[in-house]
Formats: sequence, structure tokens, C-alpha cells
Amino acid sequence: MPATLEPEKILKDLRNLWIELGRDTDVAGGILRACGMTLVVAAEAAAEPEDLRRALGVLMHHHPARAIVLRLREQSGLDANVFSQCWMPFGKHQQICAEGIEIAAGYGDLPHAAQLLLPLLAPDLPAVLWCRGSRVFESDVFAPLNSLVQKTIVDSYTAADPYAAVEAVRQLRKQGRMVADLSWTKLTGLRELIASLFDAGSAAGIHSVEVIYAGDMPSPSAIYFSQWMERALPGVPVGLKRGPDGPRSIRAVVLSGEREVVLKRPDSGTMEMYCGGKMRKSTILRLSEEELMSEELSILGLDPVFDKVLLGDALPGDAPE
Amino acid sequence: MLNPVASNNPFADPLRFDRRAPECALVIFGANGDLTKRKLLPALYRLAYERRLPDSFAIVGNSRTPMTGDAFREKMRESVKEFLEDSPFDEDLWNTFAPNIHYVAGDLNDARMYADLKAKLDELKRPNVLYYLSTQPSYYGPVIEALGAAGLGRGDEHGWHRVVIEKPFGHDLDSARALNARVHSVFPEHEVYRIDHYLGKETVQNITAFRFGNGIFEPLWNRRYVNYVQITAAESIGVEGRGAYYQEAGALRDMIQNHLLQVMATIAMEPPALFDSDSMRDERAKLLRSVKIMKPDEVSFHAVAGQYRGFREEKGVDPESQTNTFAAATFFVENWRWAGVPFYIRSGKKMPKRSTDIAIQFNSAPHALFTSEDGRAPRPNLLILRIQPEEGISLRFLSKYPGSGMRLRPVSMDFNYGSSFGERSPSAYETLLLDAMVGDATLYTRQDMVEASWKVVTPILENWTERSFEFPNYEPGAWGPAESDSMLARNGHKWRNA
Repeated sequence: MPATLEPEKILKDLRNLWIELGRDTDVAGGILRACGMTLVVAAEAAAEPEDLRRALGVLMHHHPARAIVLRLREQSGLDANVFSQCWMPFGKHQQICAEGIEIAAGYGDLPHAAQLLLPLLAPDLPAVLWCRGSRVFESDVFAPLNSLVQKTIVDSYTAADPYAAVEAVRQLRKQGRMVADLSWTKLTGLRELIASLFDAGSAAGIHSVEVIYAGDMPSPSAIYFSQWMERALPGVPVGLKRGPDGPRSIRAVVLSGEREVVLKRPDSGTMEMYCGGKMRKSTILRLSEEELMSEELSILGLDPVFDKVLLGDALPGDAPE
Repeated sequence: MLNPVASNNPFADPLRFDRRAPECALVIFGANGDLTKRKLLPALYRLAYERRLPDSFAIVGNSRTPMTGDAFREKMRESVKEFLEDSPFDEDLWNTFAPNIHYVAGDLNDARMYADLKAKLDELKRPNVLYYLSTQPSYYGPVIEALGAAGLGRGDEHGWHRVVIEKPFGHDLDSARALNARVHSVFPEHEVYRIDHYLGKETVQNITAFRFGNGIFEPLWNRRYVNYVQITAAESIGVEGRGAYYQEAGALRDMIQNHLLQVMATIAMEPPALFDSDSMRDERAKLLRSVKIMKPDEVSFHAVAGQYRGFREEKGVDPESQTNTFAAATFFVENWRWAGVPFYIRSGKKMPKRSTDIAIQFNSAPHALFTSEDGRAPRPNLLILRIQPEEGISLRFLSKYPGSGMRLRPVSMDFNYGSSFGERSPSAYETLLLDAMVGDATLYTRQDMVEASWKVVTPILENWTERSFEFPNYEPGAWGPAESDSMLARNGHKWRNA
């Protein structure tokens, strides 16, 4: 490992950063160092650095963390620098700052990077890995990082083969890793709508469910959604049916029961509900990547519903490999 | 926040699905008052912003002032803009929220007003109705009875009818019992929500998390390790135009009988078997019933009244007023956990700063191996739970001063909400309004809790009513009268006046 990437040196740079921040601030209330966890972001080469910086900026407001950005590249070698992100909460007089470390690393250097990361994690606080890209589904290149953290967050939508990606997530969970998939997170609004239909009595006596998807294959979200329905309604057949062309997505859900309820998604932000000859429109917020991440970072423990979708009733480790 | 309400919905996901209010209408009596403008409407708007309210959520405001619906909506819009504390005003959201705000003008003593209200609710056709009494307390009984007489009191198989009652719940034990009897003549206890906004504060809720979510504190949380507990609720402002009301209430009734005794109950209660509404309230009630009731001759020893210089010159205040703008008391809890540990509670106006906190002073180390820098015995550990402002928790402990020799100095280990959680904390009224709508009464006070806390303060109230104080007895900007310090000094203790 190059001498410039000694963890002690990076930690010293972080300390100096805070000294400078404290000296330079002209805010009356001073600055508050905020850190509730370590967020390690493995950003693949194709990712736009500005997108990531903006996403982190938003995320830090909700989940102040020591951010460690691992910028992965084909070229080998390791470089590092430190940064801070500061903001003034609405109506407050004290600036809040979170610290960050950016490390550029070649894919082949990941085992070294993992070694470097260990002493850089904020001590005694949860650590989360956000794998931003699709390589995580194709190889075990991220395995050294997974072992450092309590939870790994991926987005299977980026994977070429959705079934393989969902299976990769399942395997991670079976290995005992706490794992989240933003393709599952994207379903919260739709799932909440279905739950509210049940509470309102509109979804009573369901005897079959059909999930209609757009695209050549069901999206990972569609796969998760159908599995969620199967787990919630044991014995009720849940079909996945190909619908119109277009980007992979859920286009409609048909709940056949005492009444037929059809939920259609004419676009990504609207849901039309047809029931008893009436149509009702509702808005389903299309959440940004950072909003999805924020939801996941608020759940650092076991997510029993997603667990059940991934594993059924089997506990991690029980299921055959 | 609290445990999700139990659900038999196979699609439920309490970790991810926000609690949302069911389809309902909120009727606010006293809708032209300060509470509605400053707290209720901003909280409701914020709940709408968080998508916690259904699109059909309706508000019906009532007051005596003749006003059109448009005028009322405009007034509420201005209030929300002015009093929305920690988020910006969104005009588009207001435009979708406002059409469901309605207004029914009329006197609370006039049966026609209730007929108009019934007509409005029939027109709105919301299955559930929440009544909010934000009126003068003398109207609570009459309004509830009038609701009953108009057929508006009880829900049916299609939905519930609930009532939220602001404090004070009576002005003494007898009146509290009488009020409860009138309330129960129309609403069953499980539909009665007595609001104490202190219990809705995130930091007060965090006391439960701190005590029962961590393993290391509860073993120390008893008479063996705790020397005394101080609860302070200080305000830097005076009565701010509420002189006429405050003159009848005073600090003991306005703060200690309700808010601070509830906080004390949360600090001192036994761990509940379950984290649900009944179990939590059972434990709080049990603690309040365990507070030793002072004998008449103990009151002057264990309670101090104060009035700041200038109170009698406030608008609407009697120039000879005997009202306490400061009250302090020493309470003891008669149970195995707390026997002999004093709980000092004080609250006052025109004090040096606005601050509410709880300080738990632990016993000194059994054998003083070291001395502090000034040569005295080292200061014992102190745990401070800061309710407002600067919400957080601090633990004071001793540390070696760097250098040769063993010099000890107290240092502080601090937790500040903002340094760990970026999420905005909901206001107490957001939390409590939503709780009432979803039927979670955990943070609301129950009849037996109200009565128990009146019993605790009754001897003090009776003693102070009979006495004539030489008021004023403290200057604005002071921490209350000197007698308050003496009350603690008799036990060898001191108020934390940091």
C-alpha cells in the first residue's frame, strides 16, 4: 500500500479538516460535527461523480455519517482525500457538518482498500455499504467490503438479468448479510396502497393476483412484488404476465376477490384504481435515489418483511446453498 | 416513535409504512384562539405535508366570531405561514389542504350552533370525528354535554367520535372529578384524549427509550445509586398578555400539576411489561399514586411559592395578586425503588433563560480516593436529560487533568440530537394529533393519572390559598426566591443553575 494511504494519515487529515472548519466558520452558533454511522459508497467508474456528490449531500441531512466514497476505476492504485459537507438546518443558527473520505481505487485493489477501510470506520457506530452499480451482481469483487459492514445496499434495477440479480441478493442474505435492494424500496408506495385497500375492505377474499409488467423481462421490483403477494396470501396464485413494451416496470396489478380491483400505472407517478365500476387516481411519489437510500438507512436492523420475501420462512443459513 | 398499532393486515409493514390518519373530520372549538393559530393548524399542515392525512381530511373550526369560510381559511393560512417553525410554507400544498377547511360560527352555549355543526358534519360525511376543545376550561363540560344532546357524542359501527381536552383538567381534585363525570356522561374513557403536550415532545418520549432500551442505566436507577433528582422548567418570559388567565392558574397548577409530574412519572416509573398504551399509563399512574402526599404542616418545608417583581403591574392582574409565578416542591416517592430520594421540581417565569431539563445526581464514590482541584471531595456523577432547547443528554464524570499529579476535573460526555440524527423531529402537537386520530392513547393522560396528580398538589394548593405571601419575592432574571435554594440546602443539595 502506498505510504500516502496510511489510515493514520487520512485520519490526521480529517482532524485537520475540522480544525480548519472551526477556524474558518463565521456562523454565530459555530459548527456541530454530526456522525451517526459510516456510509461506505462503492461507486463504479461509470457513475457520475456530481450525481453522487449531490446524492450524498442530501443523504447527510437525514443521516449524518462519515462518508467513505470508494471511487472504483480500471486503473490500479489508491489515492485519497478528505472533504466535508455542511448545511444550516431551516430555522437554526448552528451549522452542521459531516465528514467524508474519498478513495480512488482500481477494482484489483479492493482487498487492499478493504484493509484500509477498517480503521477508517467511525468506531462503535453502524457501518453501511452502498454498492452503486451492477458489478456487485456479477462477481464477488465486493466480498471484502461486505464483511466490514452491518448492511449492504444494492440496486438490482441496474443488472442485466433481473432474476440473476434477485438471486444474488438472496444469496447475500443467505450468507447471513443484512442486505437491502432499492428495487424493493421503490415498492413501498405501491405496497402501502395495497395495504390501505385491505384496511378499507376493498381487497377482501382475494383468490388470485396478476402482476403485469412492461419490458422484455419483469423488473426486479416486479419479481419482489409478486413474491411479497405470495408470502402475504399463502395459497393464492400470483401470476407475472408480460404486458406492453417499454422500460422494465410494473404496469398493473389485478386483485381478484369479492370484487375485482385493478391498479394501473399509466406513468411512473400515477396510480389509477378501478373498483366496482369506479376509477380513482392517486399519486405515487417517484422517489429519487437519495430518497430511496434515506428510507433504507433508517432501517439498520432486520427488515422482517423483505426477509420473508427473500427467504420465505427459512432463516438465514437454514436454506440449502 | 411508538410501537406500531397491532394490525391483522397481511400486507402490513410497520417498519416502512408511516402511520396515517383514517378518513376523519377534526372539529376545533376555539378555532379563533392562539392555540389553533400557533400550534394546531401548523401541526396539521405539517402532517399533510408528510402525507399523514388522507386527501379527504376535513377541519371544521368554530368560534363566536362571525366569519365566512374564506375568511377563516385566509386567517389559518396566515397563521400557518407565521408559525410553521422549522419548514418552509408550500403554497401548492396549502391550495390542496385549504378546501377541506370549514367554519361554523356560533356561541358554545347556543344549541343552534350544534345543530349547524351537525348539519356540516352530515354534509361532510366523514365516518370518524375528533373534537378538540381549545376553549376556556369552563366550557369543557357544557360543550361535551351539548355534543351529547345534539347526538354528536357517540360514534357508531361506521366510525368513532373522540374528544381531545386541553389542560387544565379541573382546577383541583373535586373539579377534576366533576369534569370527568360530565365527560363520561357522553364519551367513554377510551374515546377521551387528555392532552399534555409535554408527553408528546420527542425528548420526553426518549426518556422511555433511554431507560428501557439501554441495559446500563436501569440497574443504577434507584435509591442505592441516585442521590436526588431535579426537574426544572424555566421560562425567561413573563405572562405575555395572559395575565388574566395566569392569575387564576399560577405555576403550580399551570406546570407542576400536569407537565412536570408527568415527566417525573416517566423518569421514575417501573418498566412496563409491554410497550402499549395501557401498560405505559398503568405504570405512570402507579408512580403518581406512590408520591407521598404532604401533610399540612410539611408544606412550608417542602414547597416554595414565588412571584416576580412586576407581575402585579401586568395587564389584567390584580395589584394585590397572590398568584405564584414560581413554584418549587420536594416530592418523595414511597416505593422500594425511590424511598428517601428527593425529587425537586421547580417552574417559573422571568427566570434567567428558557430551559427544561432533568438532572439525576448520583451518589459519590463510596470511598474518596482523590480530591478535586479545589481540595474538596470530587463532584459526583450527574446525568442531564435536556428537554429544551438543545435537546440531548449529558453525563458528567471525573477525569484526570493532564500533567503530573492526580488532579481530577469534571468533564461532560454529550449527546446532541442534531449530531446523530438529521431527521426533523415532529412537534408535540403533530405527534399527539396523529396519535388521537389513529387511536393510540399512550401519550395522553388518563382519568386516574389526572386525579392522582391533583392529589399530590392539593395540600400545597390548600396551604397557599390560606396563606398571605409577601410578594414579589424574586427579581426578573433570578432563579426564583431565596427560599427555593434554602429548601434544597436543608438536605445539603443545590439547584443546578447552569
